[in-house]
Amino acid sequence: MVETIQHTRDQFTQALNAVQDLAQLEQLRISYLARNGAIGSLFEGLKTVPPAEKPLIGKALNELRTYAQTAFDEKKAALEAAGMPRSAATDVTLPGRPRWIGSMHPVTQTMEEIKRIFVGMGFSIETGPEIESDYYNFEALNFPPDHPARDMQDTFFISKNVLLRTHTSPVQIRVMEQQKPPIRAIMPGRVYRNEAVSARSLVLFHQVEGLYVDKGVTFSELKGTLVAFAKQFYGSSLKYRFRPSFFPFTEPSAEMDITCYLCGGKGCRVCKYSGWLEILGAGMVHPHVLQFGGIDPEVYTGYAFGMGIERTALLRYGIDDIRILYENDVRFLKQF
Amino acid sequence: MKISQRWLKELVPFRWTPEQFVERLTMVGLEVEQAEDQAKTFKNFVVGEVLERQKHPNADKLSLCRVNIGTEEKRIVCGAQNVAPGQKVAVALVGATIPHDQHDPDGKPFVLGRATIRGVESDGMICSAFELGVGEDADGILVLDATAKPGTPLANSFGMTDVVYEIGITPNRSDCLSHIGVAREVGALTGKAAALPRLKLKESKIRAASVASIKIKDAARCARYCGRVLRNVKIGPSPKWMQDRLTAVGVRPINVVVDVTNFVLMETGHPLHAFDLDRLAGRSIIVRMAEEGERFTTLDGKERALNGDMLMICDAERPVALAGVMGGANSEIGETTTNILLESAWFEPRGIRRTSKVLGLSTEASYRFERGADIEMARYAVDRTAQLIQELTGAELLNGVIDVYPKKMTARLVPLRVSRANAIIGTKLNRVAVSRLLKTIGFLPAGGAGDLIKVRVPSYRTDVVEEIDLIEEVARTHGYDNISTQTRAAIDFTAAVHTDRATTEIRNALIGGGFNEILAIGLQDEATMGISGQTPVKVLNPVSVEMSTLRTSLIPGALRIAQYNRNRGTKDLRLFEFGNVFRLLEGKDRESLEAYDEEERLLILLSGQVSPLGVGVQARNVDLLDGKGEVEALLRRFLLDKYRLIQYDTHNALTEPAVGIEINGTYAGFFGIVRPEIAARFDLEGEVFVCELIVPVVEHGWAKDRKFAALPKFPSVTRDLAITLDRALPQEQVETVIRQAGAPLLVAVTLFDVYEGKQVGEGRKSLAYALEFRSSDHTLKDAEVDAVMNRVIQAVKKHCGGELRA
Repeated sequence: MVETIQHTRDQFTQALNAVQDLAQLEQLRISYLARNGAIGSLFEGLKTVPPAEKPLIGKALNELRTYAQTAFDEKKAALEAAGMPRSAATDVTLPGRPRWIGSMHPVTQTMEEIKRIFVGMGFSIETGPEIESDYYNFEALNFPPDHPARDMQDTFFISKNVLLRTHTSPVQIRVMEQQKPPIRAIMPGRVYRNEAVSARSLVLFHQVEGLYVDKGVTFSELKGTLVAFAKQFYGSSLKYRFRPSFFPFTEPSAEMDITCYLCGGKGCRVCKYSGWLEILGAGMVHPHVLQFGGIDPEVYTGYAFGMGIERTALLRYGIDDIRILYENDVRFLKQF
Repeated sequence: MKISQRWLKELVPFRWTPEQFVERLTMVGLEVEQAEDQAKTFKNFVVGEVLERQKHPNADKLSLCRVNIGTEEKRIVCGAQNVAPGQKVAVALVGATIPHDQHDPDGKPFVLGRATIRGVESDGMICSAFELGVGEDADGILVLDATAKPGTPLANSFGMTDVVYEIGITPNRSDCLSHIGVAREVGALTGKAAALPRLKLKESKIRAASVASIKIKDAARCARYCGRVLRNVKIGPSPKWMQDRLTAVGVRPINVVVDVTNFVLMETGHPLHAFDLDRLAGRSIIVRMAEEGERFTTLDGKERALNGDMLMICDAERPVALAGVMGGANSEIGETTTNILLESAWFEPRGIRRTSKVLGLSTEASYRFERGADIEMARYAVDRTAQLIQELTGAELLNGVIDVYPKKMTARLVPLRVSRANAIIGTKLNRVAVSRLLKTIGFLPAGGAGDLIKVRVPSYRTDVVEEIDLIEEVARTHGYDNISTQTRAAIDFTAAVHTDRATTEIRNALIGGGFNEILAIGLQDEATMGISGQTPVKVLNPVSVEMSTLRTSLIPGALRIAQYNRNRGTKDLRLFEFGNVFRLLEGKDRESLEAYDEEERLLILLSGQVSPLGVGVQARNVDLLDGKGEVEALLRRFLLDKYRLIQYDTHNALTEPAVGIEINGTYAGFFGIVRPEIAARFDLEGEVFVCELIVPVVEHGWAKDRKFAALPKFPSVTRDLAITLDRALPQEQVETVIRQAGAPLLVAVTLFDVYEGKQVGEGRKSLAYALEFRSSDHTLKDAEVDAVMNRVIQAVKKHCGGELRA
């Protein structure tokens, strides 16, 4: 019996090696592996084997069946693989199956970058309404009624005392009303100006306002914070300057310029041949403004700053017309 | 404000290059926006003398000239007929930029090169007035004054040797709206004091007060009025030097009297007015408030309606000038004027501003008065004006100033604590240093002791009224550059920092999902804003009707952007926007913020193809389920299962169907397909999916604090269930029945096919679900799953009228 098993195994191996295609393989399966095939017949013969030999013969028969089945499966897989046409996917130069690619608006990207830097310095983010009262937008920010400083910001009015905020500074007052020093916050948002639409101005833009009120806050520290910001945002090698300016809600007031990074300070169209680019306005919070916010200016001092986002984005991305930012041409948006 | 360097140098000595001037003034707060060096406008142009004119050998209409340009002779081909030996002419040398090309239809500039004209080389060009940009005459060359010296730069021969600076003066610095004001700032930097020209008046014996009178009826609005009288004035043009000065600073010369008043205005900053004395009834001036409703014609010829808040200059009978704003047509200086009364007054700033605003009339005078004029300058200004008119016209100046100054203004004394200055600025200046800094700009210490300095504020600095104003002056004169740059880390690191993380995360999720962020202008026309059915907030003074109304929904703006993109060939759109919408609340006081509702929203818009074109990608347009899938993916990501969709949402008029979204029981927005009639307004074809979410509600529901749930230990079994039922039955009901019947082993129900057609019969539909079963404590046996499946099937039959699909 053992010999017969070995013989069958050899015959099967020989026959399998000779198989050329799936049809021949099927024949082989019928001859050997089917119930009435050669291996099946051997199992039938097991009944006649003396009981003492049964375990040994049975084990050998099982091994044969496993061997034959495994060899058959492998051969079948090999033949099937060989018979398959070359798959289209193997042309790796075909384009990948495309997906839509999203994008963040360049104004938001610029805003997010600015926020990231200030949040890293411990500023929280606060917001306020775009429809504001004259009180928050002007009066509490030390723009007295009938004061020419109001001409600095052309205003859209909703009613006599209600308007579209011209800057994010009113949020300073709202934050001071709600929080106690130390206050350290930035206030991003949309603002509106009643100006003719042109390549440089577009009835609305975004600002980020900053406010720090605590004991012992100085102009020197304002400089330090803004220089740290500018170096992170524009690069650590930048040159800067602070020059005196005027805003009713800060005193002393300043504007910060950096070396024009398009011409390196030599003078070009963008910096109007001055070599400098103005990036923000700032100053020490005016004592009247602290008082309007319910904070004692003799105990606390503070600084505030504000910058326009669109202007910054235009410079950052080399865009020369602010209007394109609000056309929202998808071909434009996808560049960012 | 335009400042002439030459003029400035008469008031204060300095030797700075224009670059130094720009830098130094800018750094003390007078931002020099532009420096125009007149000499540079005619670079490479010189005065030439024509020595000889010959005919061009090869052209009849051209001549060949020998021209002496001082150092050498040039051979120049010239086409003008009027060129002649002995003339002094304007010669452009090779390299010069000719302001206007005579042969160019637009007269554009060009750079002169070495040219060979009809075989003869020309070494330059003799220019016409048109080519130089100094006149219209293009027919012949410009012949200069015979005294011009060959070789002199052309700008010099035109008297253009000045440098004109454009300085942006901030509203607080009215003192710098003049040459003397800027000169004072220069003097503070150089240490050499600025000074106005000394007066040399030649007065006649007749007293001015004997021929004219001045009376102030409202001293609060007019604190001082100085008048002077001149007789036998001959009105004519002012001399060239004065016209050049005025032109340089942007003032158009008119006649000698007006020019002198403007000249003194630019020099001293003090507005002046000249009346024709003979046209003043009773030769008197009365300063009083206007009558309500009174009408008055200003010298620009416009009749204006006055109100009781406007201050008027009147004669014995009628108003003759709108005080501090503009004179009247009825007392204007004309060609026949011989006797004049000069006005140099001081008006209260806020009153002038109100008048100017109400009338929409802003003038050089009102601009200065509303910012605060120097009351102590009034007297000098009237004297200086009188002196110049007398010198230039030979008029008779009557004796004395009629100076009505009811209550002399005393110099303000403002206390300054040195310690406070240091605390604000971050410096360690001592008392001496602070006093020294203030003195450079005319602020003199007048007492005080220890930490306190009492500072006398000069009359021209009307903006300095309290301590903080002085501190700014200390910081400014100390120099912002000299203040150290410090950062403290005195932040409480343990305090939670409030950020807008929710919107940031949602934005990033959408970008990852292939959406493009848009930013719409929140202002649109009223009709477009009205389509959402809300009452919009209107702007009283819009720039245009297209931008007159605030948005009540982000959808119209997004549809407009979709339209814009489709018109440019982009039809497949996946857009989102974060922005505020506004609503007018009826029945509230519109002067209060309570009447206005403002809310942040998130818009999502989908239209066009579901997927980008690609190999094996089936082309298909976006439908409601694509959009719903995007919205639900977002909601699930942020809210887990804390939201609910409501089938019949009545909140909007923009979409059909409209599906409402509720988060924790609060309305959070809706989605749907834009109604066809609304899509048509924006020329949009096909289905446009939109969703508008209320950001604070989403933010509030954000499932931020998540807890780990143990992963299942045993495998699940999945069975498919296909049933046919009435097509009108909403899927959600069927799913609910299945879930209830399958609990607790049924853990997931996924609908994967909906079919309607002949095979399932009229009015029926087939729904195919994949049901997933799992036990938390053992591996499920087939028999257990069979039992649950059976329950599910029975329940569907009973509650939904469903049949197992064969």
